[in-house]
Amino acid sequence: MTSRWEQSWDEDAGPLVRPYTLTRGRTKAIRDADLTLITLVTTVAPDEPGGRAPAADDPSAAARRKARDGRGRQPEHQQILELCREPQAVAEVAALIDLPVSITKVLVDDLLRDGLVTVRAPLALARTPDPALLKKVRDGLLRL
Amino acid sequence: MVSFGSDRLPEHAAAVKILIAGGFGVGKTTLVGTVSEVPPLHTEEVMTEVGVGVDDLVGVEDKSRTTVALDFGRITLSEDLVLYLFGAPGQERFWSLWDDLAIGTLGAIVLVDTRRLEAGFGGIDFFERRGIPFVVAINRFDDAVEYTVEEVRDALDLAPDVPIVPCDVRIRTSGRDVLLALVDHLMSAPLALA
Repeated sequence: MTSRWEQSWDEDAGPLVRPYTLTRGRTKAIRDADLTLITLVTTVAPDEPGGRAPAADDPSAAARRKARDGRGRQPEHQQILELCREPQAVAEVAALIDLPVSITKVLVDDLLRDGLVTVRAPLALARTPDPALLKKVRDGLLRL
Repeated sequence: MVSFGSDRLPEHAAAVKILIAGGFGVGKTTLVGTVSEVPPLHTEEVMTEVGVGVDDLVGVEDKSRTTVALDFGRITLSEDLVLYLFGAPGQERFWSLWDDLAIGTLGAIVLVDTRRLEAGFGGIDFFERRGIPFVVAINRFDDAVEYTVEEVRDALDLAPDVPIVPCDVRIRTSGRDVLLALVDHLMSAPLALA
């Protein structure tokens, strides 16, 4: 599969549109450490007031609506909101919108700050995973 | 209005990850595709690569941007648990990417081809050094000489407790058995490691 960043007529010239244009030059998400490849991103339902944005920058539903339609948004932001109606991993979002992971993290970070998405860190960060979790993984694999 | 169907993953869903390491052409993407419920997804991570291990560049601090391809798949294990499988290039120069990939991973599979066993050393070394539990899966290629598990263990200098699983990554149940071997290995791990 050829990504659109490779579809330039001159390989050496690089992509016609630099991915970082989308992020206005930002190369790293503020919450980069929190946004791992398998951090799950979920769009906050428009009518649902319970978006779990941090208290400090928790916008009201009206503010969220404003942010949703806001200026400075790229079409990719809207694409992410549509994709993440069902939880999707950061890597999945990147694959589906055809952007490098680091760019995707910046865009997800924008949406997170506006309270339009919530994120969930991966399980099993501990060195020894929880036996109950392992059993759940095993049972799930047996159904394959 | 956005509809959040009840048959979809709930918002409290959680994710786990297993890494698949191995040399070029050993079958990582095939394995991902065989067990994944979606066709393997492809993305790229832009990495800042420091020119290390290249004598000519010592002291030059040459940093160049490299794009690393990642193939991955997903398996929905239960109504609120998703497993992601990541295959990634095994070369040492990509290890900073592997450090990122290793965060939050349950464990790893090192896929080897008996015709090029040495291609498995990088992954094995990486996981051993970081204490990430792994199993070694021998992908059977039709024209490869059959080696016993113990011959492969000797050749790879693997500890006796590292499971070695022969497999055919083109077959779903065979790929699944490799994943199960890893989970069983994790379950048997002494809690003292914590």
